[in-house]
Amino acid sequence: MPKTEITRRNFLKLSGAAASAFAVGQFIPPPVARAARAVGSLDANGSGYISTMCEMCVWRCGVRAKVVEERVVKLEGNSEHPHSHGRLCARGQSGLMNTYDPDRVLTPLIRVGKRGEGKFRPAPWTEALDLVAENMLKIKNTYGPEAMVFSSTHNLSQPQFENLLYGFGSPNYGTQRSLCFNAMIVANLITYGMEEPARDYGQLQYLILTGRNLTEAISTSETTDLMDAISRGAKVVYIDPRFTKTAAKASEWCPIRPGTDLAFHLALINVIIAEKLYNQSFIEQYTLGFDQLASAVAGYTPEWAASLTGADAEVIRRIGREFASAAPYALAHNGWRTSNFINSFPTERAITILNALVGNWGVTMFPSGGEGGGGLGSPPQPAYPRVSAQRLDGVPWKYPFVPLKIGVFQQLRDSIVEGQPYEAHGWFISRQNPVLSLPDRQKTLEAFSKMDFIVTVDILMNDTGWFSDVVLPEASYLERFDPLVPLGERIFIRQPVIEPQGDARSALWIYKELGNRLGLGDFFQYTDEEDYLRQQLAPLNIALDELRLRGYIELPSNGETNNYQWSTPSGKIELFSAALEGQNFDPIPVWQEPPQPKGGEFYLLTGKVGQHTQFGTQNNLLLHKYEDVPRLWMAPDAAQNLGLKDWDLVEVTSQIGSVQVALQVTSAIRSDCVYLTPGFGHLSMGLRTAYGVGASDSQLHISYADPISGGQALSQTFVSVKKA
Amino acid sequence: MPQKNHYAFVIDVARCIDCRACLVACSVENNVPLKHTRIWVHDQGIQGDWPNLSRTFIPYNCMHCDNPPCTEVCVSGATYKDPVSGLVLVDQEACIGCGYCVEACPYGVRYIDQARGVVDKCNACAQRLEIGLEPACVATCVGKSRMFGDLNDPNSEVSVALRNASSIVRLDYEQGRTDTDPNIYYLNLPQTDSIHSSDTFGQVAQASLPRDPHYTVSEEGWKKVAIPLMAAAMGGAFLVQAIFFIKQLVEGEKEFDE
Repeated sequence: MPKTEITRRNFLKLSGAAASAFAVGQFIPPPVARAARAVGSLDANGSGYISTMCEMCVWRCGVRAKVVEERVVKLEGNSEHPHSHGRLCARGQSGLMNTYDPDRVLTPLIRVGKRGEGKFRPAPWTEALDLVAENMLKIKNTYGPEAMVFSSTHNLSQPQFENLLYGFGSPNYGTQRSLCFNAMIVANLITYGMEEPARDYGQLQYLILTGRNLTEAISTSETTDLMDAISRGAKVVYIDPRFTKTAAKASEWCPIRPGTDLAFHLALINVIIAEKLYNQSFIEQYTLGFDQLASAVAGYTPEWAASLTGADAEVIRRIGREFASAAPYALAHNGWRTSNFINSFPTERAITILNALVGNWGVTMFPSGGEGGGGLGSPPQPAYPRVSAQRLDGVPWKYPFVPLKIGVFQQLRDSIVEGQPYEAHGWFISRQNPVLSLPDRQKTLEAFSKMDFIVTVDILMNDTGWFSDVVLPEASYLERFDPLVPLGERIFIRQPVIEPQGDARSALWIYKELGNRLGLGDFFQYTDEEDYLRQQLAPLNIALDELRLRGYIELPSNGETNNYQWSTPSGKIELFSAALEGQNFDPIPVWQEPPQPKGGEFYLLTGKVGQHTQFGTQNNLLLHKYEDVPRLWMAPDAAQNLGLKDWDLVEVTSQIGSVQVALQVTSAIRSDCVYLTPGFGHLSMGLRTAYGVGASDSQLHISYADPISGGQALSQTFVSVKKA
Repeated sequence: MPQKNHYAFVIDVARCIDCRACLVACSVENNVPLKHTRIWVHDQGIQGDWPNLSRTFIPYNCMHCDNPPCTEVCVSGATYKDPVSGLVLVDQEACIGCGYCVEACPYGVRYIDQARGVVDKCNACAQRLEIGLEPACVATCVGKSRMFGDLNDPNSEVSVALRNASSIVRLDYEQGRTDTDPNIYYLNLPQTDSIHSSDTFGQVAQASLPRDPHYTVSEEGWKKVAIPLMAAAMGGAFLVQAIFFIKQLVEGEKEFDE
């Protein structure tokens, strides 16, 4: 028998094995691993792959999580998921670092210092939840349920979030959407009767991207589809004041003057109508209001648009002709973050109309059912209490076309500050960082100062948690279930691949526990997360375990659906909208000139980078490792005029605030614009990786809402720049 | 005995969007320390005059050369060219961390992992190849720019891609009479100012492929440093560019057997 030498390495191995055996309690694996073994995802050692869904952005790619001894070590795209096709972007690849972030909040925290001082004490869940419920009930009993504001960035546990707020009786529901795509959603609802038609790049030959920076604002499958289309030889016209990475891949880049996208598109419509390049049979059969449109756009010639946009009339005319001649294999992309100027709604309307004119429906654009349906059930619940109070965000009394579940977030904040039409006293915030995301950070903090009580649910001490009274630690997307949602003909699952770290808990658990304490138990009739999903699956006769193993199930086909019916008042694609006219808005898009910067000022542009999502990923060490230093972009001639050099520390000042940031002199931007990547300039010192990096444009952005969609006009803030 | 496999990367530059999914995937798959990276995306920067601009991204990593300069200088025999796969690998049990190979590599793709006292670099995710998976960078490439496979197999994705390519560029490094014969093949690499023809080596072009300083910042991170100081340091670092010779292969001059 060979003599066994106990080296240090072997000793560590032995003691490690002994320790982990002890930790898991006599070899009984924890529930997540036990369930994963039972369905066959993990082997006896607790290793294998578990299918789930990404939450590093809202695209929800299918993920296969590699787990080794109950630790997630690698994430792969699920090749069977239509949103990932087996690939994940940088954020998706980094997802496990969100879970293992050394700054994770792993226990409920109760504030002990002043707000914003960052002094908290850890507390048991019972104490924290009792405290939250007590404060919420106190506000309800003193001021009415409407004095409690609820906001959350849209996510899969939203149905239970809505139960919490509507069960509580508050109408005040904030989402992130008015900071992003209200203009696009409301325009699509008016024209097509659906929030966002699906796009298909399979046969695409000609694409107009209006600020849709698909290679940096990545939606994995769509970005891959775009690159496939380009590789096949599709032509891509890209409109953006910045030479982004998408511009670098496009066939043609049009850096037109900011705020004039509407003029550009009106001129394209003009060309297609004037030269009779439209699809006449499609228009006659499926659209409403062509004649009114034709006369309304008669004056919007390429020559007219040239003087506004700075693009050559001949270029506009050529693009109009090319687009129509490529139809139906053409698409004018409606964009995603579309809230740029107060004319963004008519701009989006013009894009929807441009598509309708060339009859690309059923070829590059398809109906999209949204997130409902699929035959899923849900736990029983009573009707919501009747709410008589107006919403603070002006929906629908000021914004009649904005859906209730979308709202106008910046208006909500402004109403809190003004105390009109009534005062709010409490704010429940989940998975959202309004301190950084809302324009005018000072105003958001002012709104916070009016609150008797603020509670934030998050996995990290984000900037909003930093100014809260209680922070409730949520399980990360790799540690929890979320309600099921159908995607096309399939239902995919988000399920835990590891146990929650520390005392973190799922949103389904948090909302239910809180609901019980608020006397709203009837709205949360499920024993635990798995029970919630089982109740969803019950009508489909599908076992949860089947879904857990494969990560998805096929839905029974609904048979043939009619793709040529639209949920508009007329049932047709509405080029002319009587509904808009009825509310005294232009029924057909009309040119409106948005404000322009004064001499010496710049448009302050915002945008995306491929390595971060909004305001929540900057603390991720893997993304921080590969991110660019966030600097203020400025064109070389503009910098020269101001005597500024690359890497100079500059002071950027708007009407409402100023920040200091390093300068990036680059020819990739128009001379009348500067650009700052959002999501940096964090205030929370609980984000040790992100704190101290870059500056936040929320300190500069002025709140403007587009009057129809309520979208925040994010490019309508003008700034001056000087050496700091 | 001829190599069983001839593994190679084929990278379609036109499809790289610099999203850096490959960089993160590699870091996670291979437990690369935060202050190091095994793979890079070189940004050529904005070229041209407004508004006729262009910008090219060139992913790179260990080229798994057929004539690797790193193996020649390795005093412990740790760095070797695998006779079966053709991959250039490091036996980290044998590596003494002397760093000669780091200096010898003309592409700057090796680093010394100070914590472990060994040299590390891209191993084409050999641990994944063994179980039939693609390298992590290839599997997740959002733009489908990165391909990997066996050039000895005429039906592999890489063989087919090279067969159908209109231009193929390799970043050869010539020292004395030896050529590195790298195994990254670039498709659709545009002719820009920094890549121009020369007559010294058949159709030879010249390109710069620096160690991108942005990706090798210290673990402490640049944010801890005062911004003006950082600016000066970074600005300086960007000037540190090594010049390499590249050989452009035109169609029909393939160096592999189909």
